[in-house]
Amino acid sequence: MSEQAKPIVEIRDVSVRYPNGVMALDGINVDVNQNDLIALLGPNGAGKSTLLKVILGLIKPTSGSVNLFGSQELSKNLKYVGYVPQSAQVRDPNLPFSVYETVMLGRTPHAGLFHGVGAQDRQKVEETLKLFEIHELKDRKIGQLSGGQSQRVFLAKAMVADPKLLLLDEPTSGVDTTSKSEFYKILERLNKERGITVILSSHDVGVITKIANRVLCINRSQFFCGENADFSAIAEIHKVYDHPVELMEHSDHP
Amino acid sequence: MIILESILNLLQAGFVQRAFIISIIIAVLSSVLSIFIVLKQISLIGHGLAHTAFGGLALGYYLNIVPFWVGGVTVVLGSLGITKAMRSAKISGDAAIAVFIELGLAGGIVLLSVARGFGVSLESLLFGSVLVVSFDQIIGASVVAAITLGIIFVFFKELVYVTFDETQAKAAGIKTWFFDYLISVLAGITVIVAIPIVGVLLIAALLVLPALTSIQISKSFRQTVILSPIFGLITVVSGLFLSILIDAAPGGAIVLTGLAILGIILVAKRIQSFGKSPEKPALTASNET
Repeated sequence: MSEQAKPIVEIRDVSVRYPNGVMALDGINVDVNQNDLIALLGPNGAGKSTLLKVILGLIKPTSGSVNLFGSQELSKNLKYVGYVPQSAQVRDPNLPFSVYETVMLGRTPHAGLFHGVGAQDRQKVEETLKLFEIHELKDRKIGQLSGGQSQRVFLAKAMVADPKLLLLDEPTSGVDTTSKSEFYKILERLNKERGITVILSSHDVGVITKIANRVLCINRSQFFCGENADFSAIAEIHKVYDHPVELMEHSDHP
Repeated sequence: MIILESILNLLQAGFVQRAFIISIIIAVLSSVLSIFIVLKQISLIGHGLAHTAFGGLALGYYLNIVPFWVGGVTVVLGSLGITKAMRSAKISGDAAIAVFIELGLAGGIVLLSVARGFGVSLESLLFGSVLVVSFDQIIGASVVAAITLGIIFVFFKELVYVTFDETQAKAAGIKTWFFDYLISVLAGITVIVAIPIVGVLLIAALLVLPALTSIQISKSFRQTVILSPIFGLITVVSGLFLSILIDAAPGGAIVLTGLAILGIILVAKRIQSFGKSPEKPALTASNET
């Protein structure tokens, strides 16, 4: 059980320099503990997406190291990670994938090589569709959903694999206020009731600092990493965004 | 009546029956592959591979080594090269394919012109010779089709994920590079088997049109997998009938038939969307919470 006390993700002195010379991340140090809900904040181009991709092994750091579930061999443990990319909602309306099939894709890493999806996978998908209240959409084409519906489908796809860690890259961009509020409620439930660790990058500073227990504020380099209670949003955000910021909250969020 | 009788007589001829059988095998194979090719937005790869194979076959004729094997090796190397170039950030995918098209076509034409007298015509490679298919060619195409479809079946769920979204597939731990190369090599093998029969131009079309047509009306990937071979079969069978009926080149007739089917589907879809357009906003908003 001592393993559980160890951080799920250990990021040590991670720097990323792109081939064009741009420094995307510079000396990031973070421990992500089980049950954390981390708000990843920073302006556009701050390296938020890059950091999430480094954790997933999609981008190799120029220096530093990442441990995922105690191993530097990231691909070995990716089946325990759910990921919703920034562009998840923007789909070709003609893409011939139904909502059901899209969510089923999330089961792929769990089915072994040479094995198709089985009855257990289908049952899991049905349950997840109901949990996220998208069961009635299951035969609709993924590209024909609204932003809010689409974002729930991609969260369901990430969750159907029973992940221990969820990485969400600006999942609410382009989504209306009501859907955003619903989305954050679901996320809070997943974190509190199911014990799923979440790293959430977003510009909804007011809302996510309300649901997060920890905050990581970056703008290529690390500005703040610590408990939400110690985070002086206005002061830190001013520094990171380099201009005055007004914190907005959705009125219908609890 | 006389025309119908002569068509029925023709259908009883062994060479026509063999033409239909091999066209059906190639149609099914290329239609299934076309799903992954079109959805991965690498539709031009069929052209790139077909022209690379053309260059390889011409090299085989020039060197007087079994053209099929020289062409086969060339197209597999070409498929690996095209995929490597497309995955590289240094050159755009369409430019990479264009380079291989030019290289294959120019090299092939030069070699064929030098190799004149080795019993091969430019026309037969470009347009194929579906009406002079041997029994051995049918066996060869069947074996290739069975192996290729078998590989697709084995890796189906991974191929589907990579086709859906490469970044998300990679984030799920799938080795996407392997599947990029796999699709390309399988398409290359299909091309080399199909070219002597249906020609460079037709095989490139068959690697795009069936999926492109089925995507227009499919609501799911499952439907696309069912409809794509059906459209492929309808295209080759009716195209071959048309070519016999009007005594036209089979390859051209089949491609035009495929394009006509796509055109009809697009027009029908457009007409249908006119009727449905006022409901669209309501549909989008109805399930929003």
